[in-house]
Amino acid sequence: MGRALRAELLKIRTIRMPFGLLASAALVTLLVVLLEYSRSGAGGRRIVVPPLSGASGQTLIVTSTEFALLLALVMGVTISSGEFRHGTATSTLLAIPDRARVLAAKAIVAAAFGLTFGLLASLVTDGAVLLFLAAKGFTLQLPVATMIQDGAGATLACGLLAAAGAAVGSLIRSQLAAIVGVLLWGLVAEPSLGALFPTGAPYFPYTAARSLTGATAFGHGVASLPFLAAAALVAGVAAGLGLVAWKTTVPRDIA
Amino acid sequence: MSAIEVSGLTKRFGPVLAVDGLSFAVEGGTVLGFLGPNGAGKTTTMRMLLGLVEPSAGTATIDGQSYHQLTDPLRHVGAVLEASGFYPSRTARDHLRVQAVAGGLERSRVEAVLDRVGLTDAADRRVGGFSLGMRQRLGLAAALLGDPGILILDEPANGLDPEGVRWLRELLVGLAAEGRAVLISSHILAEIAQTVNSVCILDHGRLVTQATLDQLTQDARSVVRVRTPRSQELRDALTAQGAVCRAAGDDRLEVTGVRAEDVGLAAAGLGIPLFELTSDASSLEDVFIGLTNPAGGREEA
Repeated sequence: MGRALRAELLKIRTIRMPFGLLASAALVTLLVVLLEYSRSGAGGRRIVVPPLSGASGQTLIVTSTEFALLLALVMGVTISSGEFRHGTATSTLLAIPDRARVLAAKAIVAAAFGLTFGLLASLVTDGAVLLFLAAKGFTLQLPVATMIQDGAGATLACGLLAAAGAAVGSLIRSQLAAIVGVLLWGLVAEPSLGALFPTGAPYFPYTAARSLTGATAFGHGVASLPFLAAAALVAGVAAGLGLVAWKTTVPRDIA
Repeated sequence: MSAIEVSGLTKRFGPVLAVDGLSFAVEGGTVLGFLGPNGAGKTTTMRMLLGLVEPSAGTATIDGQSYHQLTDPLRHVGAVLEASGFYPSRTARDHLRVQAVAGGLERSRVEAVLDRVGLTDAADRRVGGFSLGMRQRLGLAAALLGDPGILILDEPANGLDPEGVRWLRELLVGLAAEGRAVLISSHILAEIAQTVNSVCILDHGRLVTQATLDQLTQDARSVVRVRTPRSQELRDALTAQGAVCRAAGDDRLEVTGVRAEDVGLAAAGLGIPLFELTSDASSLEDVFIGLTNPAGGREEA
């Protein structure tokens, strides 16, 4: 297993895509944070954005790590599906014929690298909120422990989603289809299903992953899952996808 | 125990029978040419040998074991399967480093194989900028990484210029001389005729013939064309000598299995006048095409 893990780590280190996605995660998170900052305190007839001076407004910025979650998921997908896209699956399996081991190594390395997405995004949001507060002369209303938990939650969510992405990328070998599929799931399918079945929404995997980040505003008026329950659910989904990928990948021909 | 042994190997993709009961063996120190037109089943057979495609029936073993049973497979077998199997933004050296780590091989092997295939100067260039020939060389470098005793190469000459083809030929002959078993596929016999000791010719997934190059050369016998007013009489005489004759018109015969001199002597012995006697040597390529495309080959009466 050590060999497979070292090889997967080296693969990530020697291509640009994972680092491009990591940089994108930081950049997009920064853009979202700036957007939230610009909207803070703004009000309309239907939506009122809480001001930055209060805990709610600060939470809104601190938990703006959603896109890092999506990009970690995409990164996981590319780790597996990229092997089929570029035809490197053959050389990988020639060196390590045990496909279950290869898949496990990919999921573990994707999870480990995925953690950096959440960590970086949390540093961006936490750093930004502190800068904004200093600039405006406001004081931090959030307990530091909450900020740490939200950051840890975002980090964990990114790691788990990246592992799930690695399984999806093994199941759906077309990289484009797999990426479009996970993005549609996170951005369209879950919100739509959540609107139709509000009580079930907290149990949807991407929504559960978001709840780990401390995000609460899902628009359905339903409370999110407790931290540990959400973490267990997302981990279970990742493990389940991995199991399905293992069962279907092992006997499949590499043509 | 042969280095490579295939027995009754069969692969069916739905309704398509890609490989049909194939059996052959490759011994150490020899180069076996694996020949057949596109779609003959060569690549599928190689992928079954390498554990990438599950056979529907039969066995394919390397050193007596299936690929999945090999410990440190890269030290047993090196393979070149597709020139496109590289991540374009990864450098050649990094591609080999990844393979070395995955295969549990020494890092020093990376530099050794880069040198052997002549890619040392391009080692830090991204593979996306490589020509097809350079990719083939990199594929060969990866195959040689574990210093394996067996090489399985799927059309490795694709994309190589004439100098590259000569380099490949010399490399393969050298590898066989070192005692390695080499299985090399191609759909062009001439491309590998100077490299192989024997050939396996496939068509529609079935083994058409397995022969040494000498045997195949014998099959590439000349056709003697004769024009005589007593063709039936001469045909009977030559058939009695073991020749195969085909009528090519009222007064013409095409004769195989004997030399032109034998035909002339037989005719002289019987007092049969000859108006024409020519010898037309067919090439190995003609034999190959005749074997894999009988409709386009010569008919024998």
